[in-house]
Amino acid sequence: MPHRHNGDPLDANIMEQIRNMPERPVPADFSARVMSGLQPKKPSAWMRFKLWLTKPRSFTFTPLQAAPALACALVLLVFGFYQMQGPSPENGVRLTSVRFVMDDAGKQATSVSVIGSFNDWKTEESSMWYDQKNGKWVLEAKLPPGDHEYVFLVDGNRLVPDPQAAMTRDDGFGNKNSILFVNGDHEQHI
Amino acid sequence: MDERYETEIIRDVLQGNMQRFEKLVREYQGPVFNLMFRTVNDDNVAADLAQETFFKAYSRLETFDTTKRFFPWLYSIGLNVARDHLRSRGRDFHVYMENPSVMYRDDGVRDEQTMVEERLDGGKMLEFIQQMAPKYREALLLRFKHGLSMKEIGEALDITVSGAKMRVSRGLDIVREEFGEVSDAS
Repeated sequence: MPHRHNGDPLDANIMEQIRNMPERPVPADFSARVMSGLQPKKPSAWMRFKLWLTKPRSFTFTPLQAAPALACALVLLVFGFYQMQGPSPENGVRLTSVRFVMDDAGKQATSVSVIGSFNDWKTEESSMWYDQKNGKWVLEAKLPPGDHEYVFLVDGNRLVPDPQAAMTRDDGFGNKNSILFVNGDHEQHI
Repeated sequence: MDERYETEIIRDVLQGNMQRFEKLVREYQGPVFNLMFRTVNDDNVAADLAQETFFKAYSRLETFDTTKRFFPWLYSIGLNVARDHLRSRGRDFHVYMENPSVMYRDDGVRDEQTMVEERLDGGKMLEFIQQMAPKYREALLLRFKHGLSMKEIGEALDITVSGAKMRVSRGLDIVREEFGEVSDAS
């Protein structure tokens, strides 16, 4: 197949044919038929607000009129800058240190993981380590504020709710998930 | 239709001014009806399917992105309506068309012999294009008849921009392969 370009007579002919392709006339009453089958829309409050927000507007200003607004913007910018000098949150969300603990004095289990809503119920990144001295499985994590569901996965095949959790929730499959509330900047122990 | 004017109409319709929708119907009824006619080759069925397309567009208007052009969005709805219609009848998205040489339109300034020859040649090419696989035919029509950009063709056909480029390019190649020798000889 030889390469052709837009100046090629055949290409020009093809495009011309397509451009001038005859059109079947639309039935005369078509638009009336369509319109007779429609009902006026009743926009929701949200839609009205959205339309108001996205409505194109035009405005004019003079530098003298804009000066107070620019001054206010500058003040807010400087104020905002100083406000941000504290501990910086991760990805815009302030994380809280959390310690998961599961008692296992005789080390009956060979492996324990914490799986939950905060790690998409994946086991790979949440293996607990065994604290020989205290006979407990332990995992420290940083979680964003909110309530998180979790459960201990023992030996890769047994789901155990946290006996120390204040609340549990039915997971809909016959098991109970433990609930952890994270609401402050300080470390939480479970 | 000017894009800003079109957006203004859609905003009015969304706010409850239903009658403004008729502007859009009148503007795009031709391409939508013809898409359906190419699909079913029946005026009445084509009108029903075109009507269904506008009903669906109206009912889904809240989901339309007003930063884009209305036509590619409407066309994609129309293509789905056409596909659903054929699927419901156990048929492929195929082409039915009356003899294009009869429908060929001339501008009346050429001599009769030239007109006859062009009608025959143009008729053959038109017939061929009409009978191409719809995925190539519609891409060619959107590009060269309706002047859509590759991005808009992608939106209308629900494919990527590179997919749209491929469709147009392949569609042209198919026509070239059929008419290349005749054209090169002339």
